[in-house]
Amino acid sequence: MLCEKCKIREANIQYTEVVNGVKKEHHFCAQCAKEMDFGVYAAIFDGEFPLGKLLSGLLGIEDTEKGPDKLQQIACPTCGTSYSEFVKDSRFGCADCYSVFGPLMEDSIKQLQGSLMHTGKTPAYQRMDHISRDEDSEEEGSDSSRNELYELDARLKEALRFEDYETAAVCRDRIKELRKGNEGDA
Amino acid sequence: MRAMLKWYEQTDNGRSGVISSRIRLVRNWKEYKFPSKLDEKESSEMIHRLEFGLKDLGEELSSPFTFSMLGDLNELDRVALKERRAINSSIADKKTPVGILLSENEATGIIFNGDDHIRIQALKTGLHLEGLWEQASSIDDYLNERFPYAFDDRYGYLTAFPTNVGTGMRASVVVHLPMLSQGRKFSSLIGEMGRFGAAIRGVYGEGEDNFGALYEVSNQKTLGQTEREIIDTVTKAAIQLTNQEMQIRKLSLQRRKVEREDEIYKSYGVLKYARRLTSRDAMIFLSQMMAGLEDGLIDTKEEFNVYRLMLGIWPAGLQKISDRPLNKEELDMARAEFIREELPELN
Repeated sequence: MLCEKCKIREANIQYTEVVNGVKKEHHFCAQCAKEMDFGVYAAIFDGEFPLGKLLSGLLGIEDTEKGPDKLQQIACPTCGTSYSEFVKDSRFGCADCYSVFGPLMEDSIKQLQGSLMHTGKTPAYQRMDHISRDEDSEEEGSDSSRNELYELDARLKEALRFEDYETAAVCRDRIKELRKGNEGDA
Repeated sequence: MRAMLKWYEQTDNGRSGVISSRIRLVRNWKEYKFPSKLDEKESSEMIHRLEFGLKDLGEELSSPFTFSMLGDLNELDRVALKERRAINSSIADKKTPVGILLSENEATGIIFNGDDHIRIQALKTGLHLEGLWEQASSIDDYLNERFPYAFDDRYGYLTAFPTNVGTGMRASVVVHLPMLSQGRKFSSLIGEMGRFGAAIRGVYGEGEDNFGALYEVSNQKTLGQTEREIIDTVTKAAIQLTNQEMQIRKLSLQRRKVEREDEIYKSYGVLKYARRLTSRDAMIFLSQMMAGLEDGLIDTKEEFNVYRLMLGIWPAGLQKISDRPLNKEELDMARAEFIREELPELN
């Protein structure tokens, strides 16, 4: 596919724009993409990108105007890892960070790993935990609470995308509550 | 009685060009935050609970394990462990408590509280990823029976770095590519391997600085593939690389046999008689010897494991032999002496 801007070079960057909930896909070549206003994302198009900094680049925040202040409202309730800390080190502080930052991370993990679904070994001696999707598994907890979890997970993700931290916080707390409930049932 | 042979002292006369294989699994115990978020007290507590839980592991595997706290070892022992590949640099340099459980031949090791809570490593000379995976996986089960893991049905084994999530597995093979790596196409070959999911890096540095031409082939990704698929990718990449190396060498034997013989005998001569050797020179000449032995250009009276010497010529290992700190010049002398003593006679 050719770049939709210059229509000369091969497009190798796919850019998904979400405006008012309407998703639109664009295809650009690296050169055009670099010239366009992608803010912090532009760094990605600048040649070599060390792996450690990859996530920082993808989620990059340090120099943006919105700044860490607002983003710092997101922190993992279990280990206290803040969003900016997480982005800086590309490192999770605990298992719960995956559900806190996971929704924000999905695209980066996909980019890094080429997949979002574990297909390998599963622990031989423990009952499975289900952080998010679990359509066809047998989980403790009622169907309705499972569906609500699924719904909340999606809402949380959407809220974070639009930097609506209030909604995100509400969703996160409710998810926590539900999970606790499920554990209690078990 | 001679001490038990370390894993790298055992020879494997399998595939030419393949030095060793390693499987590494990382796991986290559900009960604790990841190591970067644990304070010293929590770290120590966790390490000792893990150690206690694994006290019968040696019996289970019928091979004794030794536990130590990395902080209790002196700097030299710590670096020597790194040189022998029992631990990696990020663990060797860690300031917070780290526990290490090591089998007698150092082929099997479990690190507690490194980047992740648990890091299982299994090493062997030759191309044996499949067998090592089975070994590591059974240790993994043994651990999991006692310690529930942080696991998500979607992301798999949860790890501190997103680069390890999923299987938590790194399968790697060290290969020797003295001629292939000299070729102009080598960098594009590395790129090509990357597209199949195999990463290649110099063991002792990148590009021209990787003296000795040892390269490590490993999986780039850890999520979305089964362990066997990963092993398959890495094994195939290692076989492909060594096959290409052997083809070039075969050609060199046809076209410039005398030149190669000359190079190899000169290398032997230097190794056998030099009074001072830098690590760079030692690696280059040992690499020549390794290729010469494989290609049948040189023959030693006794079986000769070149890789053992390649692991033995680094500062901490040499200082341990001489039992005192050595300056650079003394190190070069100690290195030459070590090689002189270990190098067998030629037939």
